[in-house]
Amino acid sequence: MTASVYRTARALYPHRPEMWEPEFLYEPLPIPDDHPELGLFSQELQSISEGLSGTSIPAALNERTGRESEAAFHPRVADEPLPARMLNEYVYCPRLFYYEHVDGVFLESADTERGSAIHKKVDKGRGDLPPPKAAQRGSKESQPAAVAAVALAPDTTPGKEPQPADIADADAAQEDMAADGSPKLETIHSRSATLGSERLGVLAKMDLIEVQMVTVAQDRSSWVPVTSFKDAQREASPSVTAPMPSPPSPPDDSPPLDTQSGTMCNLTKRTSKKSRPAADQPDLFAAAITPPPAAGTAIDAPCLPAPVAPTARLLHVELKQRVVHQVTPVDYKLGAPRRGEDGNEMWEADKMQLGLQILILRDNGYTCDEGVIYYRATKQRVPLAMTDELEGWIIGKIAEARQVAASRSIPPPLMNSPKCVRCSLAPVCLPDETRLLKRVTAPLLPDSPDRSADKRLSTMPPPRRLMAPRDDERALYLNTQGARVTLRGEVVVVKEQDSVLGEFRLKDLSHVALFGNIQITTQTVQMLCEAEIPVAYFSMGGWFYGLTRGHGLKNVYTRIEQFQSAQDPHRCLALAQRFIHGKIRNHRTQLMRNHVNLPDGVSLKMKRAAGDVLAARSLGELLGMEGAAAAMYFQNFAGMIKVGADDDELPGLEPVKKADRPDFTFDFTKRARRPPTDPVNALLSLAYSLLAKDCTLAALAVGFDPYIGFFHQPRHGRPALALDLMEEFRPLIAESAVLTALNNRMINPGHFVRAGEAVNLTVHGRKAFFQAYEQRMSSLVTHPIFDYKASYRRVLELQARMLARYLTSEIPEYVPMMTR
Amino acid sequence: MATPQPLLSTRTTFLVCYDIANDRRLRKVFKTCRNYGNHLQYSIFECELNPREKARLETELKDLIKHDEDQVLFVSLGPSEGRGDRVIAALGLPYTHFDAPCYVV
Repeated sequence: MTASVYRTARALYPHRPEMWEPEFLYEPLPIPDDHPELGLFSQELQSISEGLSGTSIPAALNERTGRESEAAFHPRVADEPLPARMLNEYVYCPRLFYYEHVDGVFLESADTERGSAIHKKVDKGRGDLPPPKAAQRGSKESQPAAVAAVALAPDTTPGKEPQPADIADADAAQEDMAADGSPKLETIHSRSATLGSERLGVLAKMDLIEVQMVTVAQDRSSWVPVTSFKDAQREASPSVTAPMPSPPSPPDDSPPLDTQSGTMCNLTKRTSKKSRPAADQPDLFAAAITPPPAAGTAIDAPCLPAPVAPTARLLHVELKQRVVHQVTPVDYKLGAPRRGEDGNEMWEADKMQLGLQILILRDNGYTCDEGVIYYRATKQRVPLAMTDELEGWIIGKIAEARQVAASRSIPPPLMNSPKCVRCSLAPVCLPDETRLLKRVTAPLLPDSPDRSADKRLSTMPPPRRLMAPRDDERALYLNTQGARVTLRGEVVVVKEQDSVLGEFRLKDLSHVALFGNIQITTQTVQMLCEAEIPVAYFSMGGWFYGLTRGHGLKNVYTRIEQFQSAQDPHRCLALAQRFIHGKIRNHRTQLMRNHVNLPDGVSLKMKRAAGDVLAARSLGELLGMEGAAAAMYFQNFAGMIKVGADDDELPGLEPVKKADRPDFTFDFTKRARRPPTDPVNALLSLAYSLLAKDCTLAALAVGFDPYIGFFHQPRHGRPALALDLMEEFRPLIAESAVLTALNNRMINPGHFVRAGEAVNLTVHGRKAFFQAYEQRMSSLVTHPIFDYKASYRRVLELQARMLARYLTSEIPEYVPMMTR
Repeated sequence: MATPQPLLSTRTTFLVCYDIANDRRLRKVFKTCRNYGNHLQYSIFECELNPREKARLETELKDLIKHDEDQVLFVSLGPSEGRGDRVIAALGLPYTHFDAPCYVV
């Protein structure tokens, strides 16, 4: 399954340039039968045909190119054994199961954090489990071949000493026997054993298995011909498992009993090599051997045979053996049990997981009638007895889950469920928002969107805001040229020469933006990637070069849908109309709110333009409409700047020294960029650059490819999707931040420098503007549809997620963010 | 799962104070706390933690300290954007509280 089967034509046919036609060049080709280097591929071919048993190779290759992606993805997901933990999620919420199992999305919350803390101890277990005594459990013997014990492979290294604890156990067992001679039950604990069942197609890692061992004496009639005591010891344990004399050939320790069953050792998480011998020690469970008294002096032997030959004697070896009597899986849960009619009950999801463990243990040949969940919050054990009814329910759920996993569409969110409140994935899943937008359909958009929406909304429960209104983290902007960024523990340290400019804890950072010549160490980048904190790079003047981030490649289907939609002109146009519609409406709102004296007719014209946009017939026409509306907006932009050149003398302001005051004013006539020729344009350019960064981050966080857009066409190095997403937010965030910075005098004329035609911000000016921009980003706004407060940064991410919902056809319409 | 709680509430300010009997462990505890908050005084950190971060810090510290010799106290000062923001006042050397929408260097 390596990528190297994607041989290009050039690599496959180095001497046949006619095969290098463009359509062949980057196409994966089926490997020809007569290729001279066929031997090189044989291994790969084999692995492919194994992986897709039954499928012919060209078909397999074809599938993997992604053209038949539907077929390519699903069998793979569906064939994998389902972890019991995921089936627990499925019973909790099918959507959560889909996110975690299919999309691979996972978010930590306080609950998961505490949960992994209590599992830490359990997971330290060696994962070994005594093998089932299939031979002695008549009823279980007949189980289908799914018997797969995790008991580890036979130890091949001779001369291992048992662990001290094991010796003690063996001694204890010996004493038990000596005391009353009858079998005695004792319980041993096996932690974090992983078992699977082929019949059910599931896997489970079990926190704790209580194994009841019973010590039974071996038949006294077993006489073993030995030459020495050592041999007796060596050969004794195989003779336990099979009544026939063991073959003398293997000189090592006896194989444990799992040789008779199909092992699934590859599923077992092996601990490190060092600790393996202990885990493999067969005497731990297989048999406790009582060393016989010295050959001639055994008193309890019924009849001591005379030596048959001087070299080989018959020796009575008294054997004691501990065998598994019964097992009980115990699962640790952080929460509390459900209060039922008659005492404590188990939650459905827990019932699923534990029931599965019982079934898996049974399929592996153990006797298991009951499992226990230990609820940590109340320190209570709640037992679960296996019944046929429960087994049927579990098997039904597995089939359902398998179907969901194989399906392309995600299950709908739960309806107003209290489960969502504590779910760690609620900010990703957005259950209430998705349900709302699903019902509030297309007519939300054209003409008077607000009124019709309001009517619809009044009949629905308002969505709950299941996330914090604002991020705990903040952005880190680095603007001091020549600074070095290093790492100390989990703290990012910024230094200039030897002086420390600042220290920032990773947990406080949302992302890092580097402007100009800042050095960052590899260690820091690695740690930032691991902590999923993106690093964005800008030129000193604010040109957005790109960014570095961790793997976090999630939501594969979102990407597939994005690529497919980007190729569909109708969908592109429909989406582009929405983006531009939102932008023009927000421009209009901005003017109406902030303009000192808006000329007559502008508002009406903008409104009309916003409506016309929805009827545009092509992207080209749309582009023209957008340009006209933007021109109208920027003609009136100057009216929103309420600061004149003479305002600097106002009381309460820091006086600007005459000598320092440059001849800058904040007059704005038209938008000019590359380069910006006046201060306002310089600020606008920087603001758009920052917004493009934040939109790129939002697109990436949702799982989009930010470089493939719908309105903005792909061009090298341009985050087209981010620019699409950005349209409706330009007035809301970027222009608003500029206006606030100017009108509140956070930026003054001293913050600019001129270089030829171009006007640039000074270092201090940039720093001041970062603050203004981030202040806008983190200010709370009431969402027009969801009707709760959230920061603009949150809203930006919400919109990106809603775009993904639209692309995967979960909601019928993308509704741009439009403030009232 | 049983008790509904406001999920993902923003941070709460804690004073994390510790008394560690052994210098080796002291150093480790100090280094851990440094990843979570401001070092206010010897053995005192001011940490703004959301429930997830608090759970993680507790787990890390639990593994470090010796439970019959050392002690770590968590003093809750209230929500970081509310009461926890204002309750600390200083005499002598100044105490500053960072309050800006972003970090700029």
